[in-house]
Amino acid sequence: MEQIKHIQKKYGSLAILLALGAGLGLFVLGFKPVGKGLILGTIFSIVNFILMAESLPSRIGTTRKKATIFSFLWIIIRYGLLAVPIAISLKLSQFNLWGTVVGLFMIQMVILADGIISQVYFSTRKKNSTENLLWKN
Amino acid sequence: MTDDIQVWMKVAAFVGGGMAMGFGAIGAAIGEGYTASKANEAIARNPQLSGDLFKTMLVGQAIAETASIFALIIAMLLLFSNFSHTSPLLIATFLAAGLCMGLGAIGSGIGSGLPTAEACIGIERQPQMKNRITTIMLAGSAIAQSPAIFALVTSLILLFIDFTGKPVSPTWAAILGAGLASGLGAIGSGIGEGLVAKSGCEGIARQPAGATRTTNVMLLGMAVTETTAIYGLLIACILIFKNFPAAESIAASMALLGAGLCMGIGAIGPGIGEGFAGQSAVKWIARNEEGTATLTRSMLVGQAVAESTGIYALVISLILIFVA
Repeated sequence: MEQIKHIQKKYGSLAILLALGAGLGLFVLGFKPVGKGLILGTIFSIVNFILMAESLPSRIGTTRKKATIFSFLWIIIRYGLLAVPIAISLKLSQFNLWGTVVGLFMIQMVILADGIISQVYFSTRKKNSTENLLWKN
Repeated sequence: MTDDIQVWMKVAAFVGGGMAMGFGAIGAAIGEGYTASKANEAIARNPQLSGDLFKTMLVGQAIAETASIFALIIAMLLLFSNFSHTSPLLIATFLAAGLCMGLGAIGSGIGSGLPTAEACIGIERQPQMKNRITTIMLAGSAIAQSPAIFALVTSLILLFIDFTGKPVSPTWAAILGAGLASGLGAIGSGIGEGLVAKSGCEGIARQPAGATRTTNVMLLGMAVTETTAIYGLLIACILIFKNFPAAESIAASMALLGAGLCMGIGAIGPGIGEGFAGQSAVKWIARNEEGTATLTRSMLVGQAVAESTGIYALVISLILIFVA
C-alpha cells in the first residue's frame, strides 16, 4: 500500500499545485469565480482519487457479499461527493460551473500529462537492451 | 398550458438526468471491474509486484471513470439548472441530452478498462517495461474516451443552443434523433478502441523491442475505429443545426427520428468490428516484425470493409434527413 500512498501524494499534490497556480492567475486576471470553481473542483477530484484506493483494504479479507455491498455503497458515496461541487457552482454565483468541471478532471489531466512526459522521456532516451527482455509465461 | 409545459419540462429534466447517470454508470463500472479482475490475476501470479499492480489498476480506473463523470455533470446540469424560458422543445432537449450522454458513456467506460486490464497482466510478465506499458495504457484509455467526449459535446450543444423560433414539429424529433445518433454511435467505437489499445499494451509487454511499431499501428487502428462515432456526431450536428420547415404530418418527424436511430444503431457493429480487426493486427505485428506492412494493410482493408455497414447507415440517415 506504500506505493498507492506515494502515487496519491504525487498526483494529489501536483493537481492542487496546478489548480492553485491557475486559480491565482485567474484571480489576477479578474476571473475570480472561474479560479474559485477550479480550486473547488480540484479539491473534490483529489478526495475522490484518495477514496478510490482507501476502500481497497476493507474489501480484501471479507466475504464476497459484504465486499460487493461495500463496493456499491462506496461508489454511491464517491459519486455523491463529486456531485457536491457541481451543485455548489450551479447554486452559488461565486463559483463558475465550467471552472469547477475542469477542476473535477484535474487528477485525470495530471495522470495523462505525467504519461506524456514519460513517453517523451522514453522516446528521447538512448535505446536500451529491450531485446533481452523475456515474456514470462 | 404554460404550467403543463413547465411540469413536463421538469419531468423531462429528471428523467434525462436519471438516464444520463444510470446508463453512464454501466460502462465505467464494467471497465473498472474488468481491470480489477485482471489485476487480481496478475497479483496472484506475482504477489511481489502487488504495489506496482495496485498502482497501475488505480491510475487506469481513474481514467476509465472519466466517462461516468461526464454523465454526472450532464445529470447535475439537468437536475439543478434553472432554465429561463418555457418551450415544449425543451422537453425533447432534456430527454435527448440525458440519453445522449448516458448511452455515449457506455462504450468508452468499457473500452478504457480493457487496456488497463491488459497493462496489469503485461507489467506482471514484463516488469522492466512497466513505465512504457503504463504510458501506452494511459494513451489508449484516454483516446478511448473520445467517443464519450463527442457525446458530451452533443449534450452540451443540445442544452445550451436556443431552439426558440423553430417549429415544434418536426424539431422535437430532430433533437431526439441527434441525441440518439451521437449517444448510440459512441458505444461501438469506445469498445473497439479499447480492444485495439488492449492489444497494444499486450504487444509492448510481449515484444518490447517492437514498441514503436506496435504503438504506431495501435494509434492508426484506434483512429480508424473512431470514424463511426464521428458519423454519429456528424448526423447529430446536421439534425441540431439544420432548419426544418414546420410539418403537420408525423411522417416528417419520424424521418428525422429514424435518421438518428439509423446512424446510432448502425454505428455500434462497425465500431466493435473495426476494433476486432485492429486488435488482431496489433497483436500479431508485435510478434512478427517482418509482417508489419502486410498486417497493417490487412487491418486497414478489414476495417474499411467492417466500416461499410456504418457508411450504409450514414447514407440512409442523410436520405432520411434531406430527401424523405
